[in-house]
Amino acid sequence: MRNDVVLSSRVRLARNYEDIPFDVSDRPEFAAVCVSRTVNALKAAGVDKGFELFRLKEMSDASCKAMAESRLISRDLLNHAQSAAALIRAHDAVTVMMGEDDHLRIQAIRPEMDLLSAASACFRVDDALSRQVNFAFDEQLGYLTACPTNTGTGMRASLLMHLPMLTKAKKMGDVGQLVAKVGLNIRGVYGEGNEALGNIYQISNQVTLGRTEQELISTVTALGNQLCDMENALREKAKNEGRIPLEDMVFRAWGALTNARLMPLNEFYQHWSNLRLGTAMGLLKLPLPIVDAMLDHVQEAHLCVWAEEALTGAVLEEARATRIREMLGMTK
Amino acid sequence: MAENENGFGLCEECGVNEACYTISVMMGGQITQRHLCADCMAKMNMNLAAGNVKHLLSAIMSAITGGVEEAAAAIAEEGGEAASIVCERCGTSLSKFTKSGKLGCPSCYQAFREQLTPMLQQIHGRVQHAGRKPLDDEGAQRRRAVYDRLSRQLEQAVAMEDFETAAVLRDQLKQLSNAEGGENHA
Repeated sequence: MRNDVVLSSRVRLARNYEDIPFDVSDRPEFAAVCVSRTVNALKAAGVDKGFELFRLKEMSDASCKAMAESRLISRDLLNHAQSAAALIRAHDAVTVMMGEDDHLRIQAIRPEMDLLSAASACFRVDDALSRQVNFAFDEQLGYLTACPTNTGTGMRASLLMHLPMLTKAKKMGDVGQLVAKVGLNIRGVYGEGNEALGNIYQISNQVTLGRTEQELISTVTALGNQLCDMENALREKAKNEGRIPLEDMVFRAWGALTNARLMPLNEFYQHWSNLRLGTAMGLLKLPLPIVDAMLDHVQEAHLCVWAEEALTGAVLEEARATRIREMLGMTK
Repeated sequence: MAENENGFGLCEECGVNEACYTISVMMGGQITQRHLCADCMAKMNMNLAAGNVKHLLSAIMSAITGGVEEAAAAIAEEGGEAASIVCERCGTSLSKFTKSGKLGCPSCYQAFREQLTPMLQQIHGRVQHAGRKPLDDEGAQRRRAVYDRLSRQLEQAVAMEDFETAAVLRDQLKQLSNAEGGENHA
């Protein structure tokens, strides 16, 4: 089990219909074909069960953004809100986005380290669709995509990892080199530019052409395991050599999150990271899935949906603090 | 080059600030290390995070042609032969593609094949697809389902350190791959 370090696994496939231009955002007739053809193909293949169709233009701004915050749809899809839609099977987090940079982005998210299961879920949808429709495919170049960085498998496999001790030990430079050495990519998930708020990083494959999906997944998984081992070794060391400073850090985070009445997002990430570290190391008796779910639920759009009103400034920070206390069982 | 406390010297992107980050760029299967300052690193991360590959592509084009501007000038001198290549199906021109980083339609791959192939080689290191293919018959789908199931069992067996079962599963997977006549699975 790698859930002490890996938050979730995601696989995404880019697919395009061979008879339609890639960019359908200002071509409503093509955008409509993308949606209806996909919906019909899933139905004809008998795999439509559990999928619900969301047209972004028919949804509130907050609902769309909340879906992006949960990563059920991409932030890029929000940029095409007028024409884009998504088929979402909520129970196992499988999404078919329509009208993003590519016609289809088939995506599956799994908790913890489980890229293979996420990939299988995507492949089942891909296989079902490909027997009904013609995807743009070239024997030499594989699946043809709007951007040449996705050509070939069209697959991006990524792991969301919590690496607080590696970050604290200033080892992320070394990690970056290690990641690049095996041809992968690493970036901070939350924050601007080179920030990695909450010490959350995403590793993913950089190349998509010339390797099998299996090879790409194995490479990402192997590196994920290696980073888990590096992070856990530092955690073990901290436990043995600096238990009191470690406990102090964790329980201060617990104190802040269970008592604060206003919680800015940037401050949240800092406490959350220490809270999750303490939970993963067994210092706090909290269910990890709840701790991980907090990441979505404290985001702006999630809070607006939860409060059923538009929130900004101090009111938003107050709602966040309340939501956190509620999730940590402190409001009963 | 004068080295700072990180041993990097000046940022290789802007040449003004001191570099404090090392990034490794995969180009044509070769890893090239670059040293960047915080500002340029932030810009690069933003571009990657936003999926904005325009800069990446122009860097690649410049690596291929020795400078986009020089290439454009050279093309202009030749009577704009390359720049005027247009995908007949969607009307996207080669110059529009190099500016936006996005192709117009699947046929663009054919129209710009000569220019795209070295670019794909730079990005991916290889230009022969090895992955999955669209399914055309039920038999292939069934075989793939079996393959997926066996792969999962294999992962579980390895995780449980049941290497005996893992060896058997590996053999079965191999047989299945061979029976497919070299078709790739994942």
